[in-house]
Amino acid sequence: MSDAEVPTQLTQLLQHPALWRGRSVAPLATLATGFAALDAVLPGGGWPRSGLIEILTARQGLGELQLWLPALAALTRAPDPRWCAFVDPPFQLFAPAFAAAGVALDRLLVLQPPEPLWSTEQALRSGACDLVLAWAAQAPARDLRRLVLAAEQGRSAAVLFRPAQAERESSPAALRLLVQARPQGLRLRIVKSRGIARERVDLTLHA
Amino acid sequence: MSRVPRTAPLFDGWPAAPPPSSSSSSSGKTPPSPPEPPAPRAPLAQATRPQELWAAVQLPPQSALEPLAVAAQGFTPRVSLEPPDALLLELRGSVGLFGGLAALLARLQAGFTTATIALAPTPLAALAFARAGKACCITDPARLVSRLSPLPLASLRWPEEPVTRLFAMGVRTIGEALRLPRAGFAQRFGTTLLASLDRLVGRGADPRPVFAPAQRFRQRCEPSFELADTAFILRTIDPLLTQLEAFLRERQRGITALRLTLAHRALPASVCLLRLASPEHRAEVFARLLAARLESLVLPAPVRRCTLQSGPLLHYAATSEGLWQPGEHGGASSTRMPLFLERLRARLGETAVQGLALAAGHRPERLSAVAAPGLRSGQPAARARREASAPEPPWAPGTRPLWLLQAPQRLEAAADGSGYPCEGGQRLALLAGPERLETGWWDGGDITRDYYVAADADGTRLWIFRERGGAGGWFLHGRFG
Repeated sequence: MSDAEVPTQLTQLLQHPALWRGRSVAPLATLATGFAALDAVLPGGGWPRSGLIEILTARQGLGELQLWLPALAALTRAPDPRWCAFVDPPFQLFAPAFAAAGVALDRLLVLQPPEPLWSTEQALRSGACDLVLAWAAQAPARDLRRLVLAAEQGRSAAVLFRPAQAERESSPAALRLLVQARPQGLRLRIVKSRGIARERVDLTLHA
Repeated sequence: MSRVPRTAPLFDGWPAAPPPSSSSSSSGKTPPSPPEPPAPRAPLAQATRPQELWAAVQLPPQSALEPLAVAAQGFTPRVSLEPPDALLLELRGSVGLFGGLAALLARLQAGFTTATIALAPTPLAALAFARAGKACCITDPARLVSRLSPLPLASLRWPEEPVTRLFAMGVRTIGEALRLPRAGFAQRFGTTLLASLDRLVGRGADPRPVFAPAQRFRQRCEPSFELADTAFILRTIDPLLTQLEAFLRERQRGITALRLTLAHRALPASVCLLRLASPEHRAEVFARLLAARLESLVLPAPVRRCTLQSGPLLHYAATSEGLWQPGEHGGASSTRMPLFLERLRARLGETAVQGLALAAGHRPERLSAVAAPGLRSGQPAARARREASAPEPPWAPGTRPLWLLQAPQRLEAAADGSGYPCEGGQRLALLAGPERLETGWWDGGDITRDYYVAADADGTRLWIFRERGGAGGWFLHGRFG
């Protein structure tokens, strides 16, 4: 039903500030993803600046990290940057690739802790990080809720890379994306987000 | 007070009191006099020596001098100890800072309530007044001698023997001692006492060693019962940490190393060593980090004694808190980062927290280096330096992988004999390359490789190379991730 068909009385009612509709999204602090097609479908037009984001992949190294390169470059080159932390990455990070993508290396932290989720929570709660990228094979829902609270408290964004099987589990994350490899880039499926139905987006990573 | 004429000579073995007005010239009996010690009246020295104002703080017997000297350094940096029971403070430079002499004196008296404080232009004179119990304040050197004269000789605290002899000669006050002829005085009582008299009235320089407070903090506490729980240990060392903060604040220093030794009854002591990335002085920070460290420490036995020992004192840059909360608009949270880092380092170990940096070279294995976590942000100088010195990276975006394997992983060659590499049984497509790297021949770690960007059947990009020398073959070296 479009707005034109709505009777006048109902229109007035819908303008009442206390009334919330599913499709309308509260203004959300976001960060452009660097991919116009993705910005178009995400609520607020970009990655949320605070909260938990889950990236689900069938295997590691599909291109899920390249998805974050524009955001990392924007955050670390911002006028008064906080830190961007990698918690327990599965392979060694290769500095030249980050430098080539315009990421300021001195704002990056690499943590290799025995307890990745605890460290992620500490990094989020400290309020010292803009973005915390963490890899976790096992993430119980209780721990995820702690991450959500910590991210809100520290106003940081947490990105948790998880295996695709986790799609079936419930999660308190604000945004969940399933990432699949495509010949020229990535196919993203929005598993969960605020106010947006499931959508698919194809991104081109390589020209 | 008996007045001794200025010219009265002294004779050995004479009766106790010299005749009141004996001006007899008995030069025949005087022993051959040594060359008279010149009175150090050098006008040049007087003129160049800045006028000083010394305060002597005469404390009750058995006071602990060092802590009081540290407190006295709040008034002036030139504090010296005068064992066993006095402190000397040079106050000339501090008068202006404290808003005049009266205000300064009031502050001093408030600081040392049980002490007698006397001010004079020379340290010995100030001490003599204080030890005679006269809390006076003499700023004019011209009036010093007249004010000193009535003081008893005992207030100089000279050795007993010469004082007894002077007493026997009827010399009972400082003024009487000052009126004795210098040559005879030096001959009978030695030049040491004469020099002491000269320093007393300001005719000789009297440099004093400046009290230097301890450069390490070391305190211990022995609780009345044995501690088994880390929470109790933390509560026990809390006063020590407060003392440590006061200690560091007084010296305007911070420390990067702190050692907590927990002694047990029979077993060797447990040691908990805290290392910090930047100099720190706040007790609250130490407490939090020690708590994190103690959490992971397994105590073999209850603790009988805790000793806290600091590392060397370092300068720290005092920072002021920002108006905004971290995360708010304009809220610089960079000052928070060290604390967060410290907590992680305390809990996880120092190697678990690293930064990322570029290293010079051409070999991919050596291009990426772990480094100490980056420069502190929020400091314009640091940021400007970073922006100025950051060279344009020589790699085009997309030509280097985000992940590098620790060691290259051998790939099978395709079964069809085409020579293409395979991964997981699938032939890889070569998308870009070759990029030839041939370097490192000078140190034995030489590589001769052709690098390619490859894609597997899914379209996942890989960074592979073909070894040109040796056994040859394909290797997987990175993932574009």
